Amino acid sequence: MVELLLIDAKWGGEIKLTDKLKKFLQEKKLKSIALFASVQFTKLDNLIKQIEKLGIKVNTTKARRTNEKIQILGCDCYEDSFEKNIIKNSDLILYVGDGLFHPKALLLSQIKSKEIKPIILFDPISDQIKEINKKDIEKQIQKIKRNLRFFINSKNIGILVTIKPGQQYFSAAKKLKEKLEKENKKAYIFIDDIINLNQLENYPFIQTWVNTACPRIGTDDILNIEKPIINLREAMNPIKALEELE
Amino acid sequence: MYNLELNKLTQEIKKRNSKQVLIQLPDGLKNKSNEIVDFIEENTNAKAFIWFGSCFGACDLPLGLDILKIDLIVQWGHNRFNKEEW
Repeated sequence: MVELLLIDAKWGGEIKLTDKLKKFLQEKKLKSIALFASVQFTKLDNLIKQIEKLGIKVNTTKARRTNEKIQILGCDCYEDSFEKNIIKNSDLILYVGDGLFHPKALLLSQIKSKEIKPIILFDPISDQIKEINKKDIEKQIQKIKRNLRFFINSKNIGILVTIKPGQQYFSAAKKLKEKLEKENKKAYIFIDDIINLNQLENYPFIQTWVNTACPRIGTDDILNIEKPIINLREAMNPIKALEELE
Repeated sequence: MYNLELNKLTQEIKKRNSKQVLIQLPDGLKNKSNEIVDFIEENTNAKAFIWFGSCFGACDLPLGLDILKIDLIVQWGHNRFNKEEW
């Protein structure tokens, strides 16, 4: 039996309201923000106090798949990933951390919403501030819709399953196969460890693929792949999923 | 600096009496892997090895390590997560 130890590698420095961030927030004339961070930067008590001193309410929540309040994971990219209304009730979202993978989940979680709130990325190490907004996921939204339309009209479906325990949905894949076969489609289940999308071209008889592993394959990796891929969640009810995006 | 908690790690290795430890690091920390292996081997009786590939999250753990008699995986940069049920 292999045991597991996880070390989250917290940032050792002090995370505070820098002059740059203070000026930025004040210029936006905000009443409230929703605050998220990657796990290295979730110790934000001082930053919260300093932002609230500016008269800005700081809303926080524990995302559905995370282990800590404020933390965001890449797979918390759905509208039900957070406490209802936290984003709706905030003027904008402040993300503390580096990289784009985690904050993009906050944009993707809003794709069914009429008003997509921008995300302000604050890197406490370099003191850099950047904004991402609807424009940064526009291509993804179009590709998700296009892939859903392909899926609805496809006869031959390939369902991708990883053996990685944290992302393994073999039972759900088998249920989906049964459902598709009742709808007179043919469905085949493909199993691997890492889902390498270069393999897709070896199966030309598949018209559309369903990804059951990391949901970011069906939202981000699709931009680099011509073959249509949709995620398991959307495959369960593709017409509803498409309507919600139209 | 990110806190790699190496002292806590060696205590855990000793407490668990681990013999062969695999360390798995996200890309941004992979350049620390040699220092971590050296620290483990200098401060415990365990042998340490480096996972070469991906480390996307706690959802991305290497499999099949029992064949190599690895008895502890240590992954940095992530914490426990709640898997969505279907």
